[in-house]
Amino acid sequence: MKISPPRWADRFLEWYCNPALLEEIQGDAYELFYRNAKESERKAKLSFIWNVIRFFRWKNIKKRKPYQESTILHTAMLKNILTVSIRNLLRYPGHSFINITGLAAGFSCAFLILLWVSHEYSFDQFHTKKEQLYKVLTHVDANGTIQTYDVAGNNIDVSTVPEVESITRISSGNRWPHELCFRPEGKSNECIYFNGIYSNETLFSNFNFPILSGDPNPLNEPAQIAISEKMAVTLYPSENPIGKTIKIDDTREVLIASVFKDIPGQSSIQFDFALPFDILKKQWGIDDNMLAQQFFNIYLKTKIPVDVKTLSEKLNNEQVISAAYKAQKIKYEAYAFTDWHLQSKFENGHNSGGRIEYVTLFIIIGILVMSMAVINFVNMATARAALRAKEIGIRKVTGAYRGSLIVQFMGEAFFIVFAAFLISALVTQLALPFFNQLIGEPLTLNLLSDKMPLYLAGGLILIALLAGFYPALIISSFQPATILKGQLSNATTGSLRLRKILMVVQLSASVGIIIFGSILYRQLEFITQTNLGFDRSNTIRLEPTFTLLKNYDAFKNDLLGNPIIERVGASDSNPLNTGGGNIGVDWQGKSPDLRVSFKTIGCFYDFPQTIGLALLEGNNFRADRQIRDSLATEVLISKKAAGIMGFDNPIGEKITIGNAACEVVGVVNDFHTASLHNEIEPIILYRKKIFNVSAIYIKYNPGMAQQAQEIVNTAYKKIEPTFTMKYWFQDETFDELYKTEILASQLVLIFSIMALVIAIIGIAGLATFNVMRKTKEIGIRRVFGASITEVLGVLFKEFSWVLLFAVAVSAPLAWYSSTQWLNGFAYRTAIPWWVFAVTVAGAALLILIIIWLQGRKTICTNPTLALRSE
Amino acid sequence: MKGTYLGELEELVLLTVGILFPEAYGVAVMDEIEKQAGRSLNISAVHAVLTRLEEKGFLKSSMSEPTEERGGRRKRIFVLTATGKRALEEANELRTQLYNQIPKMALQFRLA
Repeated sequence: MKISPPRWADRFLEWYCNPALLEEIQGDAYELFYRNAKESERKAKLSFIWNVIRFFRWKNIKKRKPYQESTILHTAMLKNILTVSIRNLLRYPGHSFINITGLAAGFSCAFLILLWVSHEYSFDQFHTKKEQLYKVLTHVDANGTIQTYDVAGNNIDVSTVPEVESITRISSGNRWPHELCFRPEGKSNECIYFNGIYSNETLFSNFNFPILSGDPNPLNEPAQIAISEKMAVTLYPSENPIGKTIKIDDTREVLIASVFKDIPGQSSIQFDFALPFDILKKQWGIDDNMLAQQFFNIYLKTKIPVDVKTLSEKLNNEQVISAAYKAQKIKYEAYAFTDWHLQSKFENGHNSGGRIEYVTLFIIIGILVMSMAVINFVNMATARAALRAKEIGIRKVTGAYRGSLIVQFMGEAFFIVFAAFLISALVTQLALPFFNQLIGEPLTLNLLSDKMPLYLAGGLILIALLAGFYPALIISSFQPATILKGQLSNATTGSLRLRKILMVVQLSASVGIIIFGSILYRQLEFITQTNLGFDRSNTIRLEPTFTLLKNYDAFKNDLLGNPIIERVGASDSNPLNTGGGNIGVDWQGKSPDLRVSFKTIGCFYDFPQTIGLALLEGNNFRADRQIRDSLATEVLISKKAAGIMGFDNPIGEKITIGNAACEVVGVVNDFHTASLHNEIEPIILYRKKIFNVSAIYIKYNPGMAQQAQEIVNTAYKKIEPTFTMKYWFQDETFDELYKTEILASQLVLIFSIMALVIAIIGIAGLATFNVMRKTKEIGIRRVFGASITEVLGVLFKEFSWVLLFAVAVSAPLAWYSSTQWLNGFAYRTAIPWWVFAVTVAGAALLILIIIWLQGRKTICTNPTLALRSE
Repeated sequence: MKGTYLGELEELVLLTVGILFPEAYGVAVMDEIEKQAGRSLNISAVHAVLTRLEEKGFLKSSMSEPTEERGGRRKRIFVLTATGKRALEEANELRTQLYNQIPKMALQFRLA
């Protein structure tokens, strides 16, 4: 058998090779093949393939014969094409307007989403050693469910972990001693609050918080402070603050050692000033030993990027975590610092998303809106093609090639896309302040920074290609003879099926977004209407000073002397968000295996009534200071806590919290102590001395917020004339809890409207096209006596299947994704079927209206006119 | 045209075409270079150089009769043109001239 070279390689050669060179090249290749084949057939085949590949050079490649002159569009021709394009745009201003607006709306949405998403992704990315930074998380096993905290024990000892280069401890918070009042020099009556952190000397070396002037290592010394540029300018508008002393809490003097650059908004660590831990010890009045027992934000910097799993394992060594914590089933986890901002939600010890869920959601919405806009463009352009058929016919007859027609229509698409892009850039710029206000972030639109122009140009070209390709292909395929004879068939206006599929995609997207949005809204409604078990409305929360607490009774009486003020109470944690639980609660008969976390709220005797808790059994705290004849602290427990403790008659039972002996005096109703994402937990309210509370709660008459605030301020100034009152409304704090959800719902609302607008444009486009196509059919039907409603029905029929398909696609998806979202809440609203029904009915009605508006003229004109036109 | 500058491989191929007259075509040139200079080239490289030399006007070519070993395909036979010959001579002259300018001392390293 005669051997021959591999067939595919030979064919490949024949395919690419310039015919003029093929014979000699193929000849040489064959000659070498037969020569090699005498030694080894395999080697010959391989070398043949190799040669074929090596021959694949620019010079040898077959070049398509260029059209004679025609690929070069003459300037005159270009001018003509441009003129015709502009005339076309101007002749149908409505159509052009809709077309450009639709695209611009899509672009604007995409821009805003892009800005927000890139902002979210830029968090903590400015640290040069970001890959070497890790945050230590703590998992606490509380009776089977694992709670995760973003703090770790201050006694963590990483000296035995070779990978770790240094450790940064940060103590942060919203209240004293992190939120401090500073007085500008010479104005001892003015008080400006700044929020700061306590940290160790590695803060400025491990993180990129550049120091502008002064000591590069300000936290080395025990009595130094580093302040931000903003703080420096506020306190010392005209002087250099370095070297000055400033008082903390009006008592403790510290030296301003350095000024650092304002912390960028994209940092998850925020502070206006930094103090060493020595100051914190003095503020709290604790020694080193007690400081070691605190939990702080712990950050590790490693020598090189390491595997988080191995690092986490090492952190759980007994020398590192301490034997005591190990015994308490506490576990540490090293977590990549840059992941924290977007993925900070933990469920049962495992990451379960976080903000990333919303980021993904909006990326999906952005893509959907964008593709809807592009689909619109394609639909409109192909539908309009019929109107331009004659132009194309003439162009073809006078010698236009298909290629040049494609170039023309792609060019037009590009022109419109570019116009829409410019408009949307303008719209985005104008909308940005409102958008920023909405999301509370300072986003800026900078089209010229970094690689932005590159991405934009790429995106533009891609979209123009997507939008222009199909119409250009369809339009340029017209047969001139048929067109000029005036016969327009379906084939000349593009595939109706494709157009319908696109319509299904579009409707699915808008129906889906709208259903999802309305469920989101219902859940938020549910949240605001849920009874939390205590009264959060019409309540001012006030941060007291020490002097104020000393004069608490006088202050309280002063307030209550006014009829607007209903009740006043004080506690050490806000019931809206009490923070971490306490697993150190013990009682008689507690099973040794039982590990349960209680929310403990330390409060003054008047607090439970102030927030309107209902007493189910026993008594409230006594008004006098304490039960004199007992050392035990009085506590109130919630119904759920009583259930867990298994007390039949809880009154008088003894429990311990940590080391403190307590006695149950009453049982109150269950109430929420965190957002509705979490289950209600068992609660213990214990008495606390007035000096240890953190906030005073003032309940006023409904609708009297302004007056109440003035009354409180007057009373406050009587006691603290030199301080500015720090206060919040509980309702606003409540909204803060659902900040992300509220933000998401507002964004979803905006984008639903956008999606709706684009969908309307799309439906309008298709409806116009259908009416146009069916002008004669409508005429004939009218002649035979069809009523207007019947004709409308015929037109609507085209859409009914599209709508049905769209609903079939989008409803399950919307249902699934909203169920997923709702599952994040322990307390959630049901998804009612009518949301789906109303959305679908609304869509159907909308389509009907649009068809009526578009088709009215055709349906109502005398049918003879329609039938006569040829 | 790129001028008459002759690259090293070009010169080698040009010389080989001269040697092989009148039977110089791709595979033969490749074989001859391997035999004489010990350099194994890929056939496609040889083709590229031959085409380039023809573009520069140093070679001209014509198709031969079909042969059995090539599956009945013809060869493209290359021959030197007058310019090609002159280019070779110039290159050769330049070399000799430059070589002769090297001081004797510089070449007597073997005695040192």
